[in-house]
Amino acid sequence: MADQDKKSKKGKWGRRAFMITGGVVGGGLVVGVGGMLWVNHKIKQYTGEGMGAGDSLNAWIRIAEDNTITLAVPRSEMGQGVYTSIPMLIAEELEVDVQKVKIVHPQPESPYANTFLLTGQPRNVYKGMTLMEKIASVLPVVGTGGSTTISDGYDTLRAAGATAREALIMAGAQRWGVDKSECYAEDGHIINKTSKEKLTYGSLAADAAQIKVDKIPTLKAQKDFKILGKPVRRLDIPEKVDGTAEFGIDARPEGLLYAAIRHPEYLGGTIGSVQNIEEVEAMTGVKKVVVLKDGQGVAVVADNSWRAKNGALSLEVTEESNGHEGLSTAGVAAKMKSVIANNEMIATPESEGDVASVIASEGNQLIEAEYLVPYLAQATMEPLNCTVHVHEDRADVWVGHQAPSVIRDKVAAITGIDGANVTINMKYLGGGFGRRAEVDFVIKAAEVATVMKGTPIQLSYTREEDMRYGMYRPAVMSKFRAAITPGGDIAAWENKMALQSVGHSSMMRIMPSQAPDPKDDPMSSEGAAHLPYAMGSRKVAFGDLDLPIQVGNWRSVGSSQNGFFTESFIDECAAAAGKDPYVFRKNKLADHPRFVAVLDKVAEISNWSEPAGDNKFRGIALHKSFGSIVAEVAEITKVGEKEFSIDNYYCVIDCGRTVNPDTIEAQMQSGIVYGLSAAMYGQITIENGKIVEGNFPEYEMVRMNVTPHITTHIMEMDEYPTGVGEPGTPPAAPALTNALFAATGERIRELPLVKHGYSFV
Amino acid sequence: MAELKINGKSINVDVEGGMPLLWVLRDELDMTGTKYGCGVSSCGACTVMIDGVATKSCTFPVASAAGKEITTIEGIAKQGQLTAVQRAWIEHQVPQCGYCQSGMIMAAEALLDQNPEPTDMDIDESMTNICRCGTYQRVRQAIHSAAKLRANEAELLG
Ligand code: FES
Ligand code: FES
Repeated sequence: MADQDKKSKKGKWGRRAFMITGGVVGGGLVVGVGGMLWVNHKIKQYTGEGMGAGDSLNAWIRIAEDNTITLAVPRSEMGQGVYTSIPMLIAEELEVDVQKVKIVHPQPESPYANTFLLTGQPRNVYKGMTLMEKIASVLPVVGTGGSTTISDGYDTLRAAGATAREALIMAGAQRWGVDKSECYAEDGHIINKTSKEKLTYGSLAADAAQIKVDKIPTLKAQKDFKILGKPVRRLDIPEKVDGTAEFGIDARPEGLLYAAIRHPEYLGGTIGSVQNIEEVEAMTGVKKVVVLKDGQGVAVVADNSWRAKNGALSLEVTEESNGHEGLSTAGVAAKMKSVIANNEMIATPESEGDVASVIASEGNQLIEAEYLVPYLAQATMEPLNCTVHVHEDRADVWVGHQAPSVIRDKVAAITGIDGANVTINMKYLGGGFGRRAEVDFVIKAAEVATVMKGTPIQLSYTREEDMRYGMYRPAVMSKFRAAITPGGDIAAWENKMALQSVGHSSMMRIMPSQAPDPKDDPMSSEGAAHLPYAMGSRKVAFGDLDLPIQVGNWRSVGSSQNGFFTESFIDECAAAAGKDPYVFRKNKLADHPRFVAVLDKVAEISNWSEPAGDNKFRGIALHKSFGSIVAEVAEITKVGEKEFSIDNYYCVIDCGRTVNPDTIEAQMQSGIVYGLSAAMYGQITIENGKIVEGNFPEYEMVRMNVTPHITTHIMEMDEYPTGVGEPGTPPAAPALTNALFAATGERIRELPLVKHGYSFV
Repeated sequence: MAELKINGKSINVDVEGGMPLLWVLRDELDMTGTKYGCGVSSCGACTVMIDGVATKSCTFPVASAAGKEITTIEGIAKQGQLTAVQRAWIEHQVPQCGYCQSGMIMAAEALLDQNPEPTDMDIDESMTNICRCGTYQRVRQAIHSAAKLRANEAELLG
């Protein structure tokens, strides 16, 4: 590892000044992997930075002579476990001990594109890329989100491992002068079947790097897995228990200065002028006041975060509300109501049969309901921050981010430095939840660092700035009508929604060229359209709201509200039909055996058919998101008037084949707690054009004392794997509110529950 | 100028007495294991021990810390040997993103120091830290395990 540049504390490999030449990347093995188009673009698209490509076996695997095995993890670790699951996938085929590998975060280059993010389809590693996959690779789209890491990498990463193993086998065969069929791989060694001799991978790696494997070996069948599907200890946990794990906010490059920021307080507002720059610059430790472009904020640079924050709080600024001073939560709700009442729908993602006439026809029971959820902040535990060091002709960035390829381009644009000379040092993310796919904090850090050229600058939002300068989960209204037949069938189902488009709003900031028109945003209706239930005629439509409020991705996105809406209203249908909510759902899922299996399982593990016990009540919910089906049962105890204890959650997930079941269990617990925080407490309110909540506990979270005990069951499947990081969230709220309905007869149609006087112990 | 005793070492810092201990640790001493989450004593990410008591360092002025024993996440393992709490945390695979975990671990250490056999109720009462990743169930299990590990160790030591 002579070429290792140890400038960063963790010894992650920094920039290396070489380009790949010749017909192969980093040796030759990658050529076969998935017909990787980027091989043809290697000079532009792939320098191998971070993976020491010269002697690596391919873009993911480098084996040093001393047997050190380094694997590339190009996805961002934000708690969901990719730092372990990616190595598991590679190690399964490479035949190495996953606990012994070293991890490196490579630069965001073509081999690491998340094609699934763009296509929603896994790549076929035995075929060339589709056009969209080529586009994802050339751009490249390197990002973590949409619960896609495993779906994207399940085959490609195993293929990378298998191809490298094949080259090592061939190198061993060459060394011994035998046919490669005489050799096999096991635990980091190539073994000669006849002589029983063993060679370490390290001793063969240099030779293997020169071998071109022209066919990807057949990948193992599920029954032969040694690592996948079994609980594996996470590789990031040891450093997360002794304080050494480095998050973006822990970056401490030599000579670092800290910046705090004051954003405009008005939504859609701009800062006009700053009256007391000199005064603030004279404060202890303050080095400079930097007024950001377009009135988007004022930063105070100091030698300590606290001094920077005090400087920012002392700024006297004038602010333009740009006409938005009248904006309020109530006003937004009124707007949504009128969009729906006036039928100002911009898209109808689902329409089958003639809903209106079925609803008008006699003999059916008509039920109607209006649902509403508020804006929500992601509130990642680590407040947003980014560290940038602008040099004469290059820039270094230290950040925890979900889209490194995007921010490299943004930093290049702000600093005027060629993107090839912008290095992203990916740190652990103290939570992402969609907020760390946004670019605001990176752009602002780059702006300040450009003014402070030569000095590394860490820009952090205080918790208050983090919460008030939000890219919120939108407030959404959903108005249902359904016709129930005397026999208890749903003859018609209509759902009209009003909301701002997350896809449009977020992509306008992240990658404007890819921003969909609000009417084409699939996220608005995800989890609301194409429900699995038999419903006769159906219509799902949505209208848009033009508001100066930035909305963004929030764990489980459209399903975060649509899961609550649809699974509550289905429960209303069951009640109207006088049926048990589990049986009612099951009877409408005849064509969907995987849904039925999940639903049955959750009924079984929650003892649904047995009485819940004195003062105990249950609620059930079922929702598919990110390809995975999740059912949850909430079990609650009434302890007082509108006072409840949430005792248990039972959760069943079908996510196809599993990678690390222990992580899946953890993600179900995590997703449920996240969903419960929103159901019980979560609301971002707007008054007089400004955000009210600024910190905990005004924006309260579920804490230890109210957390239920969560029992998780993972279905054993042999299907292609689907998402895990988000699907646990959508059923959490409706399972609880359906249980509250069972307990009180009150149907909760608006979140959060604290608004209705509920409290939890 | 204040003289601080952090993890058994004396360290001089020259800052305003009102600066919260958190920022002295993180920005003056580059001890980044202790985290900032809210700055208003609500989330517990910044928890350290001061004279053995779990304390939110984001609102604790450095002047008041002078002369007291300050223990941070970096200082609990002795001679490279992880504490029972840290080992239980690994055993139960508690951390997800990990950002709240320094504070969680410090709060758990302090709890077990005062109450070697906490009940679920005791845990509910003293573990008020926020974990946005929702690791609470495993935190609870790990505290119970750590209590047993500590008891066994105490027995071994006689
Ligand atoms: S940072 Fe101190 S309690 Fe939140
Ligand atoms: S592990 Fe992420 S906040 Fe607790």
